[in-house]
Amino acid sequence: MKWYIYLALKQLFPSGKKISFFSAMSIFGVALGVAVLFVVQSVMEGFQHNIKRMIVDTQGDVHVDRQRIICDGDALVKFLQSFPEVEAAAKYAYGFAMLKRGNQSLFPLIKGIDVAKELRVTGLGKFIKAGNLDNFDCGGIILSSELARSIGATVGECVEIYSPAMLENMNSDEVILPKTLEISAIYETGYHNVDKSVAIVPLDILQDLYGLENGIHGISLKLQTGISPEKFTFQLNDSLDESTHASSWQEMNQDLLFVLKTEKTMIFFILVFILLISAFSIASSLIISVVRKTREIGLLSALGGTKKQCAACFLMQGAIIGIIGSAVGITAATTIVKFRNSIVALFVKLCGVDDFMLKFYSFANMPAKYGVRDIFSVAIFAIGICCIAGMAAAMQVAKINPAEALRNE
Amino acid sequence: MSNCIVEVQNLRKDFNGTSIFRGVNFRIMPRETVSICGNSGSGKTTLVNVLSLLEPPTQGNIFWQNENVTNANSGKISQLRPKIFGYIFQQCNLIPELNVLENLLFPTRIISIIKKSDIEFAKKLLGQVNLCGIEQRNVSTLSGGERQRVAAVRAMINHPKIIIADEPTGNLDVKSADATMDMIMNLCDAHGSSLLLITHNQRFAERMQTSYVLGNASLKKLSDHL
Ligand SMILES: Nc1ncnc2c1ncn2[C@@H]1O[C@H](COP(=O)(O)OP(=O)(O)OP(=O)(O)O)[C@@H](O)[C@H]1O
Ligand SMILES: [Mg+2]
Repeated sequence: MKWYIYLALKQLFPSGKKISFFSAMSIFGVALGVAVLFVVQSVMEGFQHNIKRMIVDTQGDVHVDRQRIICDGDALVKFLQSFPEVEAAAKYAYGFAMLKRGNQSLFPLIKGIDVAKELRVTGLGKFIKAGNLDNFDCGGIILSSELARSIGATVGECVEIYSPAMLENMNSDEVILPKTLEISAIYETGYHNVDKSVAIVPLDILQDLYGLENGIHGISLKLQTGISPEKFTFQLNDSLDESTHASSWQEMNQDLLFVLKTEKTMIFFILVFILLISAFSIASSLIISVVRKTREIGLLSALGGTKKQCAACFLMQGAIIGIIGSAVGITAATTIVKFRNSIVALFVKLCGVDDFMLKFYSFANMPAKYGVRDIFSVAIFAIGICCIAGMAAAMQVAKINPAEALRNE
Repeated sequence: MSNCIVEVQNLRKDFNGTSIFRGVNFRIMPRETVSICGNSGSGKTTLVNVLSLLEPPTQGNIFWQNENVTNANSGKISQLRPKIFGYIFQQCNLIPELNVLENLLFPTRIISIIKKSDIEFAKKLLGQVNLCGIEQRNVSTLSGGERQRVAAVRAMINHPKIIIADEPTGNLDVKSADATMDMIMNLCDAHGSSLLLITHNQRFAERMQTSYVLGNASLKKLSDHL
């Protein structure tokens, strides 16, 4: 081992003592910063992962649509399924309509789907909270949970639907007969925006309501696992005609994804200040120790150490604190992340927070996600900051003249 | 040219335009013991610092083992210095975070790697200064006299050609000063090193083969006690 690394280690962990107070505090500071940064980032990542999963589960990987109504839907589906990357394709159409139950009416978005295909493309099946899809095809309707709640509807009841096409016919003094559909299921994704106001009906019913005949608005695709939707749409758009356009789920939700990314970056910058503060205290403690050890630095020169090596000794102290601090911090953080739900539960017990709050913030089952890359980037970042702190001290060492240092009392 | 260990010719050192000393010529031969006396502030420490190039001279030439090192680069000097000089300072010689044995081996660690024989040598030297069995002690638990003896052993660890002792007994009472001085001289004698002793103590100065006095910015040879 190089002597300056040895001395750096010894100054942090002197012989005969377990650990110096300075190293303990510095390591604790770095570990704290690393742990907080890591826990918050992995919980954020977990939430974001869930949101993205929800998007894919409700929308599919890729949408193909056209500026006008797609009349040759089946041919397009056939064409799309000829790509080996495409696992499944489902036609859809949508529009707003008035939904009435008793004397309550609302204007949800109504989506028409080919349910058998849809189940292969989206995760609709796993969001069903009540009822089932058995009778959906023969005049059923699926309501989003909040929509159902707001009109007080439950599975098995009937609702009436008035489409804009029907309203147009009002002029001709006809009596309008609404479409009556039986609620076959209620679904809930857990995300307010999606659950708020959506109704799903069989595609042929929507086509009928809107007078689309055989027309559809688009086709959603599920890709084989491992295929990047962004890359695939790029390739797909080359082989589609001018008016037809494919967009990946990332493209369709780019505003939301941008917000999520910005949010994560902002939180990172805020939390990085914890690390910066501990780096400042490490730098100042190390500089104080340089001043205190001035004579010793002179002695090292007399014993054959070069100025660079003496400076390296203090730089190493910063680096060692960074390395150990990161290791401790990441160990602590991964443990916290692993036992996060028990920790939250304990916290709830101690503070008496009520269940509603927990559910509201989705804390009851907190998501968390991190990869080896996250561990490395946080660790390298922390070690880098500590090295800069060590560098500040090393620069003080470089200014020391050995002969003057030896006179230092 | 003779085989002297260090030689200076026409050495001069100025601080802020005032000369601390000038026209200094002297040489130290193998196994020679030399003392430099002088009033406080006369420049004794400065002289040995310049001699071992911890500080550059204003003028003059410095030879280490007949090699002119006056203008050698700092890397070369850092490499040569520990092989030629061993230092004992008046105080704060030891690194407080290391135990006695680690302190003793530290100079070896700087210039090379520690071998088993180095550890044995360190223990043998400790025996020669009557400090057996304190290898694992923390240096802060040692008395002043013990510390200076440990420092003397450390100065000897790399088999230097000359030990520079700058008032090594300055902080000690008469009795332990005498004991420490004896040990230092015995060590130098046993291992064939020269000794350059800076001291205020007339009795110690007289025990050296050659005595110099630094005063009025020049170095005068007092006597050869040979
Ligand atoms: N870096 C410096 N700048 C200016 N003057 C200095 C510097 N270093 C030493 N001096 C001066 O040089 C003179 C000689 O100092 P030095 O330490 O060599 O004396 P000394 O003979 O060793 O004294 P003592 O017996 O007290 O140790 C002193 O007057 C001191 O103030
Ligand atoms: Mg002095």
